[in-house]
Amino acid sequence: MEVKAVSVSGLNKWFGQHHVLRDVSFSLAKGEKIVLCGPSGSGKSTLIRCLNGLESFAEGEVAVAGAILSQSPASLRQIRQMTGMVFQHFNLFPHLTVLENLTLGPVSGRREPQQQANRRALELLERVRLGDQARKYPGQLSGGQQQRVAIARTLMMRPQVILFDEPTSALDPEMVHEVLDVMEELAREGQSMIVVTHEMGFARNVADLVIFMDAGAIVETAPPLTFFSRPATERARMFVRQIGHDAHLEGVAVRE
Amino acid sequence: MTTMPLSRAMAAENAAARPAPPAPSRFVRTRQQLFASPGAGVVTVVAALALAAILWPAIRWALLDAVWYAPEGAAACAQPGAGACWAVIAEKYAVILFGNYPYDEQWRGMLIVGVWIFWALLSALRFVPVRIRLAGWALIFVGSILLMGGGVFGLTPVGTDKWGGLPLTFLIFGGTVAGGLPLAVALALGRRSRLPILAALCTGIIEFTRGVPLLVVLFFAALILPLFLPPELNVNKLVRAEIGMIVFFAAYAAEAIRGGLQSLPNGQDEAAKALGLSYVLRLRKVILPQAIAAALPSLFNDIVRAFKNTTFFSILGLFDVLGATKIALQDPEWIRYTTEGYLFIFALYFVFGSGLSLYGRALERAHLTRLRKAGK
Ligand SMILES: Nc1ncnc2c1ncn2[C@@H]1O[C@H](COP(=O)(O)OP(=O)(O)O)[C@@H](O)[C@H]1O
Ligand SMILES: [Mg+2]
Repeated sequence: MEVKAVSVSGLNKWFGQHHVLRDVSFSLAKGEKIVLCGPSGSGKSTLIRCLNGLESFAEGEVAVAGAILSQSPASLRQIRQMTGMVFQHFNLFPHLTVLENLTLGPVSGRREPQQQANRRALELLERVRLGDQARKYPGQLSGGQQQRVAIARTLMMRPQVILFDEPTSALDPEMVHEVLDVMEELAREGQSMIVVTHEMGFARNVADLVIFMDAGAIVETAPPLTFFSRPATERARMFVRQIGHDAHLEGVAVRE
Repeated sequence: MTTMPLSRAMAAENAAARPAPPAPSRFVRTRQQLFASPGAGVVTVVAALALAAILWPAIRWALLDAVWYAPEGAAACAQPGAGACWAVIAEKYAVILFGNYPYDEQWRGMLIVGVWIFWALLSALRFVPVRIRLAGWALIFVGSILLMGGGVFGLTPVGTDKWGGLPLTFLIFGGTVAGGLPLAVALALGRRSRLPILAALCTGIIEFTRGVPLLVVLFFAALILPLFLPPELNVNKLVRAEIGMIVFFAAYAAEAIRGGLQSLPNGQDEAAKALGLSYVLRLRKVILPQAIAAALPSLFNDIVRAFKNTTFFSILGLFDVLGATKIALQDPEWIRYTTEGYLFIFALYFVFGSGLSLYGRALERAHLTRLRKAGK
């Protein structure tokens, strides 16, 4: 059997007495894309933060590229080196230039030669269309540019899988598409990814599978076309109607 | 059917950008500030007169009527109408600046003071890389101790009981900051640790030290501690007092750094974790640079205070500048002019203290500029 990029089985997590992840199981095949959606507070962020050990969990098993996650520092480092993460608020390092943001992981964490890392970084910046911004500080860039830098920073680690946690929801509407374009390009190149997003157009274009969560549990999973046109459960139907409505009002999220 | 709204708006007729209207000149603005209203005018005039009434006698005493040089002895200062007797400084500067350090070896102290001031000025220049500044300070610090102590390179040994004056003040201060900052970082991190015993220990050290006066810490370190320690552990008094200074400074600086750590959003550490960086790397490359930069204003308060706190050493019978001045002014011939002697070292402290503050503020400004670039 082929090794999965990510596999999760029987995941349960509590915050105190609050049962936030309930028996979550799924797997992501190499090169495929999962879009994770669901109402606010349904546990999407918590779930993908469990996948790279930013959150611990009480029960269940998580494996990335066949390596099983434990809470030992060595295992955490190993998993995190294989797992990229892109945050809602970018979380770039404000005291470092764009170039330094990109090379910190490979040079300090993996002892890649500085020159080689610089060269790769400049190539990646070119790819996310920021080739001329390498010497700037993050604060000098727009939100959309910062998020593209964050994506390039993750790509520097050559991750097996990239986790995106609402990468466009902190952006001004006119900047959403420049980030989605970069993500779609990555998807076409066969990068495995799990994306928490409500961008239906993006999901339609790239997702192999949509996972819908509510109250900490997976409620429904289906290919994007099926999910958005004929949701099977009442909760999913309400959710799709809601985000479809919002997208219609904003006029940018639904793109054919 | 929609009715026409009653509100109105108009498209701009002249939307081209143009320069701002000229601002009033500096003279006009100053006049407006000083004489904003009749009442403000009266206050300005009265305050100016009061200032002049205070300043004029001070200037006459300190500058116009002062006796600058009295090679024949203190008698020159005793003439009627004589103002400040600055001659006492010319007479006693060697003891004030170098304490009881052997006279023939005072070039060492002079060299140390010169090199420290030179390197401090160089460190204030932006184009000198931080690495070189720090490496230089480390070298200068160790070099200064060797030079003061002698016994190497054919230098006559000089016991620490003979160390004194400005070089000693510099060494106490340098040692406090150099030893205190790493300890402060360790205490701040320890206090935030998830290990309960470590956190309790660090909190205890910080709060206990902050709860007692420096004098008590110094007395404890210099005079009481040796009573409990086995004699072989009995390091000399200067080192013991210095350890007290370091712990006292570190307790305050730790709180400043902890404030800096708290001001960092969680996302910074998480982003660094997500890159697979180890704890030590996350601290070195992501957390501490930002936390310390954020803590700079309060950290520099503590650093300036550490400089002023060097005066406490004179109470322990160690002759920092203040202590050295005290012995210098015991000479019966000049004893009437102690005021001038103290004013001189006040000026000295003022120059160094405000130099430090200025440097701190410059660092802070540089950091703020960078943050503004970073959009914070
Ligand atoms: N650190 C935390 N401590 C306690 N409760 C939390 C914490 N983080 C999230 N939660 C709770 O867990 C639930 C899931 O949160 P989250 O994963 O952020 O949802 P989503 O990303 O789907 O909006 C929510 O009810 C939230 O209030
Ligand atoms: Mg979330």
